[in-house]
Amino acid sequence: MDRSLPVWVVTALLLALLMLLPLGWLVALSVSGEGGGLASYRAALSDPHLRKALWNTLVLAFWVGIFSLAVGAPMAWLTARSDLPGKRAVRALMLASFVTPPFLGAFAWVMLAGPNAGLLNKFWRDVTGAEGPLIDIFTMPGLIFATTLYTFPYVFIMIANTLELIASDLEEAASILGARRLTVALTVTLPMVAPAIASGFILAVLQALALFGSPAILAMPAGFHTITTQIWSYFQYPPKIELAAAASMPLLVATGLLLYLQKRVLGRRGYASVGGKSGQRRTIPLGALRWPAFVVCLAVMACSIFLPYGVLAKAALSRAWAQPLTWDNFTLNNVWFTFWQYSATKDAIVNTLELGIMTATVGALLAALLAYTVNRKLVPGSQFLPFLVLAPVVIPGVVLAVGLFIAYTRPPLILYGTLWIMFAAFVTKELPIGYSQSDATFRGVHVELEEAGRILGAGRLRVLREITAPLARSGIIATWCFVFIGVIRELSASIILFTPNTKVMSVVIMDLKEEGQFGAIAVLGLFMLLMTFATVALMQQLLGRDVLGVRE
Amino acid sequence: MPGVTIRGLTMRYGDVAAVEALDLDVAPGELVALLGPSGCGKTTTLRLVAGFLEPEAGEIRVGDRLLSSPAGVVPPERRKMAMIFQSYALWPHMTVAQNVAYGLRFGRRLDRADRAGRVREILRAVQLSGYESRYPGELSGGQQQRVAVARSLVVEPEILLLDEPLSNLDANLREEMRFEIRRLHEAFGITTLYVTHDQAEAMVISDRIAVLEHGRVAQVGTAEDLFERPATRFVAQFIGRTNLVDCVVTEPGLVAHDGLRLRVATADAKAGASVAVSIRPHAITLISGESARVTSDGDNVLTGVLKRASYLGAGLDYEVDVAGVILRVAAPAGARVAPGTRVTLVVPIARCLPLPAA
Amino acid sequence: MGTVNRIVGTVAVAALLLTGVAHAQDPRVDAAKKEGKVVWYTSLVLPSAEKVAKLFEAAYPGIKVEVHRTGSQRILQRVMQELGANIKIADVVHTSDAGHFVLLKDKKLLAQYTPAGVEKFPAGFKDKDGYYFGLRATVNCIAYNSKLVPAAEAPKTWKDLLDPKWKGKLVTAHPGYSGVIATHVLALVNLYGWDYFKQLAQNKVMITQSAADPPGVVASGERLVAANGGDYYTYQLKKKGNPVEMVYPKEGVPLVVSPTAITAFAPHPSAARLFTDFTFTREIQQVMADSEGLYTGHPDVKYPNDKPKLHELKLLTVEAEELEKRNEEIKKKFVEFFGA
Repeated sequence: MDRSLPVWVVTALLLALLMLLPLGWLVALSVSGEGGGLASYRAALSDPHLRKALWNTLVLAFWVGIFSLAVGAPMAWLTARSDLPGKRAVRALMLASFVTPPFLGAFAWVMLAGPNAGLLNKFWRDVTGAEGPLIDIFTMPGLIFATTLYTFPYVFIMIANTLELIASDLEEAASILGARRLTVALTVTLPMVAPAIASGFILAVLQALALFGSPAILAMPAGFHTITTQIWSYFQYPPKIELAAAASMPLLVATGLLLYLQKRVLGRRGYASVGGKSGQRRTIPLGALRWPAFVVCLAVMACSIFLPYGVLAKAALSRAWAQPLTWDNFTLNNVWFTFWQYSATKDAIVNTLELGIMTATVGALLAALLAYTVNRKLVPGSQFLPFLVLAPVVIPGVVLAVGLFIAYTRPPLILYGTLWIMFAAFVTKELPIGYSQSDATFRGVHVELEEAGRILGAGRLRVLREITAPLARSGIIATWCFVFIGVIRELSASIILFTPNTKVMSVVIMDLKEEGQFGAIAVLGLFMLLMTFATVALMQQLLGRDVLGVRE
Repeated sequence: MPGVTIRGLTMRYGDVAAVEALDLDVAPGELVALLGPSGCGKTTTLRLVAGFLEPEAGEIRVGDRLLSSPAGVVPPERRKMAMIFQSYALWPHMTVAQNVAYGLRFGRRLDRADRAGRVREILRAVQLSGYESRYPGELSGGQQQRVAVARSLVVEPEILLLDEPLSNLDANLREEMRFEIRRLHEAFGITTLYVTHDQAEAMVISDRIAVLEHGRVAQVGTAEDLFERPATRFVAQFIGRTNLVDCVVTEPGLVAHDGLRLRVATADAKAGASVAVSIRPHAITLISGESARVTSDGDNVLTGVLKRASYLGAGLDYEVDVAGVILRVAAPAGARVAPGTRVTLVVPIARCLPLPAA
Repeated sequence: MGTVNRIVGTVAVAALLLTGVAHAQDPRVDAAKKEGKVVWYTSLVLPSAEKVAKLFEAAYPGIKVEVHRTGSQRILQRVMQELGANIKIADVVHTSDAGHFVLLKDKKLLAQYTPAGVEKFPAGFKDKDGYYFGLRATVNCIAYNSKLVPAAEAPKTWKDLLDPKWKGKLVTAHPGYSGVIATHVLALVNLYGWDYFKQLAQNKVMITQSAADPPGVVASGERLVAANGGDYYTYQLKKKGNPVEMVYPKEGVPLVVSPTAITAFAPHPSAARLFTDFTFTREIQQVMADSEGLYTGHPDVKYPNDKPKLHELKLLTVEAEELEKRNEEIKKKFVEFFGA
């Protein structure tokens, strides 16, 4: 028997433990409330607040999906197929939007579009003399807007990548038979990218379902909850954990259903065709619409990046963020306060970095081992591992946190109160993306390279260390970076699992929000963005290609 | 049915010239193969003719229409051409009938019934009757290929372009499809450009072959022209196997390589020039032992030692050392001569072709 | 922090240091220094909490104060949640919901400790069993943006807030987060019944969490009037130059006494006692009154002239037991009327 087998088996078992334990407890507790069985479910579903929260969540998710599609798909098409000017700039900004934590964006938009003090609304009133605001961000439409701004990159990436994968000769074949470029786009390209469009929509909906930060910032002041904030509120004293567990189930079911749908849609007509020569593509000329299209793209990116980042910078440096930035108003006090006065900051930064590095390292390693195990079919039944690994995608962060909370606040393993419980949550949550990256990496390292080593006498583990690992190195590092960035911005699980000693930066920001300390939030938020972009830059340097994976 | 005229076609990728001052004429109704190793520019030439690429210099005309020049390129959809791709490029979301009928929608007035009729006809011609509602994913490689052919033929193009359409098929199917394509060409008579790296394929399918080397046409001619009378060393080696002996011209019609002396088919080369003499293996007759035969005026008679003999079933493959030069001989099936034997080689002078050395 | 505050703070520290010699001899200080830190769960507004912490650290070098600031209700939640997982971190617990301390005392989670000098405090600041004592007090008041609302049009009473002309212009904090607000809600319910809040909700009030938030929202002009909020934070903002004004309704202002206590399971008991004593000294209580705008129980503290003294106001008080008993009801009804 292969002597390296124990390694793979242990890895697989570790994975199973990580995934199934919290879920198991979640289900167990949801049926164990007073009255047993489905009592908690009945209590939860008969609670009008929860029903309302459920409805709000569905409305939010649906519209975010639609608008993300409406913005992301055309932009993807414009950058991949037309002669839009400034494509590289658009893609770079898209990346920035992708890594911006949605709650930070939501917070920035409070300053931009609060109905009375919001800077945009003030400007609008000055210019038009109107009474009311242009946008009231503290509404459901406002929440949809602020959420879409950071969800549409998912749609963009999905569609842009698929467009790249479509073999160019499929479109050339249509051209040479007489179809004009627009006809080709509509009759050949569009049907082939349709699965990606559906998939992108579902992805956007999934993101919106699981969000905590944006609803906490925008919905609660307006007096409505989404399911995530509702679950979180069940943790207030006295805690109703069973209700939280029961309320988590609809969310879990919804995400499970959506993912299943997405698999069906993508799987059935695997249109991302492999093979066929992909030559230089002909771009579709936009003619007179060229610069207007660019302006529109820029406007979108302004809403997503320029305006929010700008207002954050302003708030970071102002005494009173709502007042114009004059010399009077300018201050470095916020920076001083955040980093030197506020005792929670240093600890939070240290915690975030610690957790980030730990999670990224262990996560990348685990993902690599798992991807390797699956790719080389090392363990019987290894074809089922991907399901298990990718399963956490189904679990929204809040739900995962509830499950982990239940699992690890009781014997045998009490992890609550330590960084370990957050570590467990993060590894679970980030494993899917780590695995996808690693999977792609190992597909690229041909098995024959390893076989050549083994036939000369090197055992599997040696081959892994000396042959595979060096070749897979840059891919693994990319995985590390992805996971690290994911941890920095994580909020929905942290907000439930933290204790005063284990606060992370995102939690501290939410704390500060509850105090209305705009200046400190802005400083800390910008610092968080700095960390993120530094990591992205590192990744681009190492990988030498566009991080989003879209070919130039 | 117009022909294709290519003059001085040039296209560069960075510093590398993919196609360099290429000239070629394709007569109306003719099938010309563009043959060459990878990187020789044959696919680039084809794509230039299709209009997917813009030339840096030169012209492409179809009939008397100027279609491509540095000044501008008529887009592919208006060139009245059709193309069959190496991957067939069938649209996976459309049925066979929809794939085939696609091109019929542009630039002509046909109603649905007409289109359906034409589709039925052409599918019959490629022997795929009844496959109208299948999807490409459900078809075998060979069937997909025939759909691609049907799709191109049904629009009655002026020019048909094929980009290595048989490369993805297995060997048996490939042979079968070669004849099929030839048959279709003879039935429809469309001016065709056919890109391939397989010389046997080119020889079966085409009326004439253009051998490309480094972006230029090394030689154009029928298969026989190229085989019997290669103009360059490259063509001689690319088409069929050959022995190439580097020699120096001693006097017109006579060359020497160390101890080896040969009379050659042409006397154009001046004394002192370097030539590569091409001798096809099957042009050499091998006789065991030192020959006592009367030397005929039309032959070169050489003696050497047999180094290796391989049995190929339908024939024998010998390697003979003649004064330090190794010559391959293709002999018919028969009694095998053992290695080490002294042998006599007889080669007609007419089959010893002096080619430019470089 | 304004320079005035800094000066005051420095003076206070200097005063402390002058008496520091006496402290150095104190054996408790050695014990506290050995423990190295005190963990303070406090709902005192962040800048104020940090300031008190820094003053203590300056007076007793070597003992760190770990400030964990969040809303009163959250603090209780934290403590109970941590205890449920057998995690013992908190040394000193200080919130603005007196009801919490009734609860905690009942559950035997508090240590019996009377800080030095607290005998002179009024009865409302002392637990008769000696488990918790009022560290500071504030009152709920109305705040409005003085730039956008002329003084004549500003609301004068709690009932004024029900006027439809304030629709969309009000902001409130949440009793589910803040003890100050929980007290306020109960006081007004006792005065006017739940109908008051039912009507108030019709005015589409913006919801924030901390009692410190509404004054900030009003200062920025996002909303014009704060329907409640601790007057001490509004006072701080006003002193910093923000355009906010306080209104102390004649019907009465809910008085919020914020107790503090040492936990029964404190990991750093000596440091906790030292810290508690420190916060009840006249110097620190004076700092709280001067720069933080708080009221205290200390009889020797002088209050600034630009804000009403406690005895000038009609105070609405709420019994700690009642707060504890009706806590659930307060939160539930608030959510019912205001939505979240």
